[in-house]
Amino acid sequence: MTRPFLGFGLGLRTDHYGYIEEHHPDVDWFEILTENYMVPGGKPLAHLDRIRADYPLVMHGVSLSIGSTDPLNEEYLRSLKALIERVQPQWVSDHLCWTSVDHTNSHDLLPLPYNETTIEHTAARIRQVQDYLGRQILIENLSSYVTYRNSEMSEWEFLGEIAQRADCLILLDINNIFVSAHNHYFDPLDYIDAIDIQRVMQFHLAGHSRSGPMLIDTHDHAVCDPVWALYRHALERFGAVSTMIERDDDIPPLPELRAELAIAERIAAEILTPAQLETGAVRCQGIA
Amino acid sequence: MQTLRELQRSFLGRLLQQPSDIADAICSTPEMSADARLDIYATGYRLRLMEALETDYPQLHAYLGDALFERLMNAYIDRYPSDTTSLRHYSRHMPQLLRTLPPFDAHPILRELEEIERGFNDSFDAGDAEPVDAAILGTIPPEDWPLLRLHFHPSLRILHHRRNAFAIWRALSDGETPPPVVDDPGTWVIWRRELVSRYRALSDFEAEAMAGALQGETFAVLCEALLQWFDAETVPAQAMQLLQNWLAEQMITAVTVAD
Repeated sequence: MTRPFLGFGLGLRTDHYGYIEEHHPDVDWFEILTENYMVPGGKPLAHLDRIRADYPLVMHGVSLSIGSTDPLNEEYLRSLKALIERVQPQWVSDHLCWTSVDHTNSHDLLPLPYNETTIEHTAARIRQVQDYLGRQILIENLSSYVTYRNSEMSEWEFLGEIAQRADCLILLDINNIFVSAHNHYFDPLDYIDAIDIQRVMQFHLAGHSRSGPMLIDTHDHAVCDPVWALYRHALERFGAVSTMIERDDDIPPLPELRAELAIAERIAAEILTPAQLETGAVRCQGIA
Repeated sequence: MQTLRELQRSFLGRLLQQPSDIADAICSTPEMSADARLDIYATGYRLRLMEALETDYPQLHAYLGDALFERLMNAYIDRYPSDTTSLRHYSRHMPQLLRTLPPFDAHPILRELEEIERGFNDSFDAGDAEPVDAAILGTIPPEDWPLLRLHFHPSLRILHHRRNAFAIWRALSDGETPPPVVDDPGTWVIWRRELVSRYRALSDFEAEAMAGALQGETFAVLCEALLQWFDAETVPAQAMQLLQNWLAEQMITAVTVAD
């Protein structure tokens, strides 16, 4: 099994367009929010084209609604395919969730019940999307706040089974594992240790906040120490995986986020060999 | 046991504040009931839609003030569940609400302000097209002139207002106290030039000519329309002046000859 290692990236945010284009910061790659660029033209696409000329990009969507019981949204898929043609991303991801039903959109990443029916339904739809796009996609684990009574397995068993049946890849969000572990009382290490090493193509890191007894995935804080510890554990298990920090609120200047990304680089340098951390090359995955 | 579809409908109903039995399908824990857990999603749903409306209408918000704008947003969210995959388009039914919802419906200035902000939002990410250079006029054979058709930048839209909405919008944008509403009929154009949205007033005859050109009328028909304002001898010069201005302002992206 081989997989590309892009190095250490950041989420591309409009606040940072000017800085990136003027200073060309030392960031290995950027992740774009797919829906922000599903527009006919103007500034969003002009900035995208300029930044694409200097950096590898990956695309990250929120509206695929892969677990919905509505038919797949063909108009959305056509726009997605057109944007992929334009951006030529390294890869494309969305979430293991549903966002809409009866064509009404919640604009949220809503959890699915973890059972056989949902696995079959969702894996079939991922296969349909992959066939249409002509490529594997990555699906990402959520932060969630509810557990359904008709769930029959753990979240990691659910994610792993869907990834295997759909033959798709995984975007593992380390912060989401931490948040959901807290909210649903499981051990985050059990989650990480159960995920198929060969399917993980990307890591997300982010901050969260507390609301009463719950942790909420707000992306408005720096990555906290327990999440860095989990990241360390994940690197030990998965080896070099392209890593990025998501920040969507209270967004600091880009150099501040770059400094936070350096923490990820330092941790990776302690665990992995320089050869493993070489970017650009397709790297062998040799961890048992 | 609910099917996945029933479960999703029930969950969404809870977000939309409709009767829903979704809490029965959710585990409660000692720290937090199923309902309290679902409230996290319900609150988030409303906050996200509010943020989308606030993003689209900063000056309408400033004009109405926090309390009235919040009332408008709540009414909008209750009436219009999102039917779009992008929050960028969530506010598209706002003109309809402002026309029908008391007390907003009694103040047509709100519809004009909304139209200005929507105009800028739509022009911001409308399709791209390269403007044509004014030198193109020198390449057109004399016999083709009457049949010329002008093609405008996809971002260009014309706004007809009966009140001083642009003066109010401009004051609000500058953080100043807006002037009182007065009757001030006028036509305005919003378009994007070099990625930046612009606007300016149109004279009566320019508005007529531009609207005609946008509908695909030929240069000869535009000249004929200008006869309402100018005598036959000055019409060609006036029409040429309009064309040169539009080219200089990068509003025109193609000039073709009608069959």
